[in-house]
Amino acid sequence: MLYLSQLINAPIRDRDGERIATVRDLIARIGEGYPPVTGLVARQGRREFFIPTGAIASIATEGVTLSSAQLNIARFERRDGEILLSRDVLDRQIIDVNGKRVVRVNDLQIAPVEGSYRLIGADVGARALLARFFGRKRERTPLGDLVDWADIEYLAANAPNVRLKVSHERLAKLHPAEIANIIEDLSYHEGSEIVSALDDETAADTLEELDDERQADILEQMDSARAADILDEMAPDDAADILSDLPQEKQDELLALMEPEESEDVRELLEYNEDTAGGMMTTDYVAVPSGLTADEALAILRGMEELPDFVYYLYVVEHDTSAPPDAPHRTDDDIPEYLRGVVTMRQLVLASPAMLVGELMEREIVTALPTDPADDAARQLVEYGLYALPVVSEEGVIRGIITADDAFDRLLPDSWRKRLRVFS
Amino acid sequence: MRPTSNPTDRPTDDTTPLISRRATRLYRGVLGKAVPTATGRVRRLLPHIAVPQLRFLAFLAVLGPGIITASADNDAGGITTYSIAGAQFGYGLLWILLLTTFSLGITQEMGARMGIVTGKGLAALIREKFGIRWTGFAMLALLIANFGSTAADIAGIGAALEIFGVSKYISVPVALMALFLLVFKGNFRWVERIFLFSAALYIAYIVSGIQAHPDWGAAFKNTVVPSFQLRRDYIIAFIATIGTTITPWGQFFIQAYCVDKQLRKEDLNLERGDVYFGTFVTNFIAFFIVVATAATLYVHGQSINDASDAAQALAPLAGGFAAFLFAIGLFNAALLGSATLPLSTAYAASEAFGTELGLDRRFKQAPFFYSIYTAALIIAALFVLLPGIPLIGVLFISQMVNGILLPIILVFVLLIINDKAVMGRYTNGFVFNAVTWITVVALIFVSLLLIPVTIIQQINGG
Repeated sequence: MLYLSQLINAPIRDRDGERIATVRDLIARIGEGYPPVTGLVARQGRREFFIPTGAIASIATEGVTLSSAQLNIARFERRDGEILLSRDVLDRQIIDVNGKRVVRVNDLQIAPVEGSYRLIGADVGARALLARFFGRKRERTPLGDLVDWADIEYLAANAPNVRLKVSHERLAKLHPAEIANIIEDLSYHEGSEIVSALDDETAADTLEELDDERQADILEQMDSARAADILDEMAPDDAADILSDLPQEKQDELLALMEPEESEDVRELLEYNEDTAGGMMTTDYVAVPSGLTADEALAILRGMEELPDFVYYLYVVEHDTSAPPDAPHRTDDDIPEYLRGVVTMRQLVLASPAMLVGELMEREIVTALPTDPADDAARQLVEYGLYALPVVSEEGVIRGIITADDAFDRLLPDSWRKRLRVFS
Repeated sequence: MRPTSNPTDRPTDDTTPLISRRATRLYRGVLGKAVPTATGRVRRLLPHIAVPQLRFLAFLAVLGPGIITASADNDAGGITTYSIAGAQFGYGLLWILLLTTFSLGITQEMGARMGIVTGKGLAALIREKFGIRWTGFAMLALLIANFGSTAADIAGIGAALEIFGVSKYISVPVALMALFLLVFKGNFRWVERIFLFSAALYIAYIVSGIQAHPDWGAAFKNTVVPSFQLRRDYIIAFIATIGTTITPWGQFFIQAYCVDKQLRKEDLNLERGDVYFGTFVTNFIAFFIVVATAATLYVHGQSINDASDAAQALAPLAGGFAAFLFAIGLFNAALLGSATLPLSTAYAASEAFGTELGLDRRFKQAPFFYSIYTAALIIAALFVLLPGIPLIGVLFISQMVNGILLPIILVFVLLIINDKAVMGRYTNGFVFNAVTWITVVALIFVSLLLIPVTIIQQINGG
C-alpha cells in the first residue's frame, strides 16, 4: 500500500540504480473507476519534466525505479482529463458519497491494480494529517479514516485550468436534503457544479433544500433555459420564493422561459408579500367537485398524469357558474372555486365507493386570508394539528394551501435552527 | 410532511429527517444572518422587518460589513492602544495612522476579493496552496496573535468594570460564563445591539476631541509629516498602532464574512466601497481617540496606568461622567471582541484542518471547533486572572504581538492573491502589491529594530 505523502520527494532511480531526479507529483487520469496513474512529474535541479508510466518499472516507498537507462526528457504539459495528485487532489475538499459529507484529503492511497498503478482511496483522518505534518515516511498501517475512491466524487472546480469530465451520478442517488447539506459545506463554485450536473428533478428538490441566497446564486449562474427547466420541476411556492430573490430582469426572463402552466402559478404567487399567507402558499393542491363519489374521485386521481406534491387533503369546491361537475383538477384560474369542505385521503380510501364526496367532507374548516400575516397562519396550522391550511379569499374562493413544512420553517426561532442543546 | 412525488425512484431511508432541511437553516459566520448583505437584496429585506429598532439596524447594516469591521477594529485593544499612543507621544504617531489607513483598506480589500472570487476562507486557501506544514505555521501565528487579542478583550472587560470597583476576579469569570451561554445557547441577537452602543462611544470621542481644543495645526502637521524616535517605547507603540489597526484575525474575518454571505463577483465593487468606507471610519475614530487623549493627558504629562486614566480623555465632553462613559464603552467593545474573536479562531483552525465547523452543529458533530473556542476563551481568561498581570499592559502589548505576527499572514495573502490559478484575472495590480509589501517590510524592519534598541537602552540605563 502506497501513500502519496511517501512518494512526493522520493528519489527516482534509473535501471542501474543511479538517482536521477525526485518525484514532484503524480499524474492520474480521472474518469470511470479508479484513476490510473499515467505518469510522474519529476524534478532535477531547477527543471521539471514528465515521465510516462511506460518508462517506470516500479513504484515503492523507497522510490521510483525506471525501466530504462535512457530518458526522453519531455516538458510536462497538462492534458485534458488528467489531474495532478499533489496539486489538485491533496488538501482539497472532496465528497464522500457513502458518508454523505464533505471531507478534506489528508493523504492518498495508490496501489497496483491489474498491471497499472491506480488511485484507490483517500485518507481523510486526523492521523494522516499528523503523519504528514511530522514527515514520517515509513510504511503506515491503514488505521486512518479511509474512503474508497469508488465512493468519492471529485470536484472539477479543484482543477480549474483543465477540462475534466466529472459526472456526479452517485451524488444524485442521495436524498436532496443530504445533497443540500453537502453543497452548503462547499464554496459556491463547487455548489453550482454539482447542481448543474444533477437531473432537473433532483436539482429542483436539492435547490428547495438550500437557503434563499444560495438558491438564487446558483440559479443565476446557470444557463437560463436550464434554470427554467428546473423551476418548472419545483413546487410553485418554492419557485416563487427563489424568483423573488432574483433581480427583476432575470425574473422576467426565467418566467418567460418556463412552461406557461407553471409560470402562471408562479406569477400569481409572486404578487403576494412574503410575510403574508398568500406569500407562503402554493397553488399545487387537489380540488374535487362535491358531486363526485369516492370511487370516481379515486379513479380520476389514479389516472392523473401529474399529481400535486400534497394529496393528503382534498379540497371540495363548487363553481358559482352552472358548469357541470368536472373531474378533479388542478387550479384553473379562470373559474373561481368556492371552498366548501375538506376530505382526507384516508376518508376517501376507507369510504364506501358510492358515497358522495360532498357527504364525506368536513364542512367546518380552518382557513386563512391571503393577506393574513404569515406567522398567524403558520400558528393556526400548528395549533389545529393540520398538514395543510387552505388560503381563501374573503368571498370564500380557495387561492392556495400552506403546507406544514413551510409553517415549521416560519415558526422555528433562529436559535433552534442553530441547535439549542449542544451537549447531546 | 411532503411525500416524495415518485417514491419508487428514491431509496427510502429510515433516517430521513421528517422536517425538511429548509427548516434548519445554517447560521454560520461570526455574525450570522442577522446582518444582511450589502447588495440590492437588502432592499427586499427592509420591508420584512416590522420592529422599528431592527429596521434601523438593517439600515445601518446597509452601510455594509465595513461598518462592522470598523467597530470591531476599535475594540478594547484598539481604544487602549490609541489612548496610550496619544498620552505618551501626543500627536507624534498620527502619521502612522494615515499610512495605515491605506494599508488597511488594501489588505481588507484583498481579503474581500479572495473571498468573493474563490468562495473559500483564507485558512482553506493556505492549506490548498501550501500544504499542511505551512498551514500549521500560519495557524500557529494566528493562534498566538488571537490569544493576545482575546486576552486583551477579556482584560478590557476587567479594566472597564474596575472603574466601578469590581475586581477582575469577579468580572472575568462572570463574563466567561455569559460568553459560553452565548455560544451554546446560540442567541446572537444581542451582539448586534451592542454595535449600536459602541457607536455612541466613538461619537463621544469625536466630540470630546473637538471640545478639548487641541492644537489642530500640530495635529495635522504630525499627520502628514513623519517623525521617528529611536526609543523602545516609541517602537513598541509604533508596532502596536499598526497591529491594532491591521490585525491577523481581521484578515481572516473579512474573507470569511464575504464567503459566508456568498457574495459574488458582481458584488465586488459594492464590497470595495464598503471596505474603504469602513476603513475610513475606523481610522477617523482612531484619529480622534489619539487627539482627545493627547489634548487631555499628554499636555499635562499624564500617563495611562489604568482604565480610569484613559477615561480622562472624555472629560472635555463628559466632565465627571467621563469615567462612567468610558467604562460603558470599553465594556461594550471588550464584550463584543470576546464574543467574536475566539469564534474567529475556532473557524480558522477548523477550516485549516478540515474538520466540521459552525455553530449550527452540535458539540458531538464538531468537537474540534467547540474545543478550540472553549480553550481559546479559558486560556486567555486564566492568563488575565493571573495575579499581578496589569490589564492595560495586556491590552497594549497584545496589539504589538499582532503587529509582529501580521507580516507572516500578509505574506501568505500576497502569495495567494498573485496566483493566477487561484484568482484568475483578479490578481493584484502593482500598486496593491507595492503597498502591502512595503507594509510587510516596514513591520519586519521595525520589529527587528526593537532588539538592538532595547539592548542599547538597557546599556545606557534607559
